[in-house]
Amino acid sequence: MAHSKDVKKNGPISKGVSRRGFLKGLGATSLGVAAASKSELLAKLEHAPSPNGTLLGKNAVALTLNINGKIHQVKVEPRITLAEVLRDNLGLTGTKTGCERGACGACTVIMEGATINACMTLAVDAIGQKIETIEGLESDGKLSKLQESFIENDGLQCGFCTPGIIMSSKNLLDTNPKPQLEEVKKAVSGHICRCGTYPKVFESILAAGK
Amino acid sequence: MKNKDTNLHVRGESCFVDDFPCPAGVLHAAVKSSAIAHGTIKRIQIQNAEKLPGVKRILCAPDIPGENQIGSIIQDEQLLADHEVHFIGQPIAIVVAETAEIAREAVELISIAYKEKPAVVDARIAAKNGQLIAPPRTFSCGDTDLAWAQCETISSGSTETGGQEHLYLETQGAFASLKEDGGLQLISSTQGPTAVQRIAARVLDLPMHKIEVDVLRLGGGFGGKEDQATPWAVMAGLAAICVRRPVKLILRRHEDMIMTGKRHPYSSDFKIGLTQDGKILAYEATYYQNAGAAADLSTAILERTLFHASNSYYIPNVKATALSCRTNLPPNTAFRGFGGPQAMFVIESAIVAAAEKMGVDASSIQEKNLLKDGDELPYGQIMAACRIKPCWQHNTERFNWHEKQRDVQEFNQKNKLVKKGFACMPVTFGISFTNTSLNQAGALVHVYNDGSVSVSTGAVEMGQGVNAKLRTVAARTLGVNPESVRIDSTNTGRVANTSPTAASSGADLNGHATRIACEQIRQRLIEFAAATLKTESENITFENSRILVSGRENDLTWNSLVDSAYWARVSLSAQAHYATPKIHFDKSKEKGHPFAYYSFGTAAVIARLDCIRGTFIIESVDIVHDLGTSLAPKVDLGQVEGALVQGIGWMAMEDVVFSENGQLLANTLSTYKIPDIYFAPEKIQTHFLENAAHPAGLFHSKAIGEPPFMYGIGAWLAIRNAMKAFRPQAEIPFTAPFTPERVLMALYPK
Repeated sequence: MAHSKDVKKNGPISKGVSRRGFLKGLGATSLGVAAASKSELLAKLEHAPSPNGTLLGKNAVALTLNINGKIHQVKVEPRITLAEVLRDNLGLTGTKTGCERGACGACTVIMEGATINACMTLAVDAIGQKIETIEGLESDGKLSKLQESFIENDGLQCGFCTPGIIMSSKNLLDTNPKPQLEEVKKAVSGHICRCGTYPKVFESILAAGK
Repeated sequence: MKNKDTNLHVRGESCFVDDFPCPAGVLHAAVKSSAIAHGTIKRIQIQNAEKLPGVKRILCAPDIPGENQIGSIIQDEQLLADHEVHFIGQPIAIVVAETAEIAREAVELISIAYKEKPAVVDARIAAKNGQLIAPPRTFSCGDTDLAWAQCETISSGSTETGGQEHLYLETQGAFASLKEDGGLQLISSTQGPTAVQRIAARVLDLPMHKIEVDVLRLGGGFGGKEDQATPWAVMAGLAAICVRRPVKLILRRHEDMIMTGKRHPYSSDFKIGLTQDGKILAYEATYYQNAGAAADLSTAILERTLFHASNSYYIPNVKATALSCRTNLPPNTAFRGFGGPQAMFVIESAIVAAAEKMGVDASSIQEKNLLKDGDELPYGQIMAACRIKPCWQHNTERFNWHEKQRDVQEFNQKNKLVKKGFACMPVTFGISFTNTSLNQAGALVHVYNDGSVSVSTGAVEMGQGVNAKLRTVAARTLGVNPESVRIDSTNTGRVANTSPTAASSGADLNGHATRIACEQIRQRLIEFAAATLKTESENITFENSRILVSGRENDLTWNSLVDSAYWARVSLSAQAHYATPKIHFDKSKEKGHPFAYYSFGTAAVIARLDCIRGTFIIESVDIVHDLGTSLAPKVDLGQVEGALVQGIGWMAMEDVVFSENGQLLANTLSTYKIPDIYFAPEKIQTHFLENAAHPAGLFHSKAIGEPPFMYGIGAWLAIRNAMKAFRPQAEIPFTAPFTPERVLMALYPK
């Protein structure tokens, strides 16, 4: 992905606190993060210093999210991930969760022109950011050229990893409309397809770039 | 033809179990499982968990209304452990709560006191202790004891193949809702809807007709949802009945990895004897299968190991013995290949061992012993329509093995620290469930009076493209446009008593049933059209939704014919049953004719090894595969490539590591690695054997799901050859997977 920002590799571009940093801050005392129960963490949160002066949580906060060009308002606790908000609050279940820790890529969405794992991104970090999900690819009821290409080239089998792979491919083509094979491989390298249909994925993306 | 699902997948609109919109009042369940590998439960304390706001109910074994038993072949597995626990991750209690998160928090608050017993994780130790799932079985032919004397070269040794986590991207899960009159609907991510229905009926003490299991599609199965999708669906059903509300139970990735079984690790011994010119005269093997804590499908898997003991080779004297060993690991289960790959690894290792002793290339022994028509396999089936030699021959010519081997040699002469290896892998795989009774299927076809067609069968779509094939079968048989055919969900209410979608046989069995049902409707409509048009039935044909009389078009279309037929009270629905003919097997003699036919193919693999780092790349895989006349060539090509990648993963990457006390150490995707884009071979070329129609098959086609998986063994052999090129004297154990660590340990012994 030579021409686009690669958040997965370079860390989140979050303006707020990343989930990991947030948890680390809480667990910095003698208590390990893994060992702390949710209630213990929440109790600490009440006294936690906030990075920019405003304290979010533990109660639900109202968020305004820009998803596929539409404005959505949800009220969730600040610890909730973008993947959870998309799936559970907004019913956008095209974004899948496969591993819940950023290892499989199934939950990939595009945030401000960069691919991110929605399972590793707090919903609050998406405030004010332009989010694109698989549901936003069609226009006027017509599939995008990339979606057509995945159908035409059989770029999928069980389909579970497909939305994430298509989002990474879209982000590549947005900035590099005619990629070479190596660029394609790099762009989708963060995805796991257990059906192993990688050769067909490459063909689908290359054909869409023609 | 395209899989209709594809269109939904690329939109993100296809529904997997966790994607169904939740009805009002839905509750979520999570599972508390055993923290120890073997012992007894002294006390379960649920008070703290019950107090957590949002927790509705905590269910343990005494809450089960029926039998606490989920074993299918052998009844040795409880849904919820009530006294003894046999593996880490064995379910003990279910928490039902307002959210999945609360349920999981409550799971952590349940405290269980155990009395620990020693755990056994090694199959050979279990065998020594007499812990067998069932009595050992032996397949034999000829007399190996007599044959050894005639052998010029005899080699013996041991092999180890590891487990393999299925890692279907959609984790196990189910959604249960109540119906009137005590009925239950289960939406399950299962390959075996009837298995879910039968076991749910047993556990919940309901007749099967009160339980409807519906399956839309799976986000991958690979065998992991053949038997092991059942407990989660039954638990969701139990919870729904106990709390009188709909319940969803979805495992998270690490829970799924800890609680479910995997491919069986095997530890095996072999002895092989050959004549001076490389003919294999005798072969003995003993397989120690690590079954885990319960039988699950282990005995059936063990049987297929025995069927594939000699892979693609004719060996006149064979004695193969297999033991299914009970250990304290999660019950291991079906996984693409079903025991076949484990057997093939042993015979290929034996051939390599013999070749090294004889100072010849293993491929020369492989080629010399390939099966041909008339050869009898150790279990009595006579080879017919054997195409392993044509596949081998085609591969050598089409992909120019001679040049490839020469290039590899030249490369190895020029490079000191990077070496290449070339290896071949022939595969002969029997098609049919080895349990003859399972080789049956049903189909229900409706033609609605607007001309649209709905097909229901027992086949489950899990990415293998069975729906695309069924659609082709229905469209071709009825003579309608494929667009007018819809493959409906797999539902026990529409098609009953189904076999699981497994053994590569989903399209074959359900396709034949679909064909027969469509033929019935077509015949009725032909007769009706003949009467309407005042002609003979023989003159009527249907093609692309048009009605032809003696080959000429007519005013009548499919839609108008169907509409008229309805008003004339012609039945537009049909149900059909198919049972594979001519197959049988006598377990008392271990002889018979268990397979409808065989799938054949060969792969040639080149691996490039960094001898300093132990890392490798599979440069190329060239395949010639016999799939008859394909019903859906693109689908089949995807199956070949996908199975190959998964097979290479098993052989050269995926390391299921348990601690000595039975704890899974590789329990997330960050510690258990499966093939990604860069691990997949750089180049895969697949050629389908030409002029290979298979008259007995569904529209002359052959099954495809499992056979190409075993090409992965070729990658292991190629890596080994690269290691040998670097260090010819290295003693390389026959152990898979070849991780970089294992490569280095073999190249640089202490």
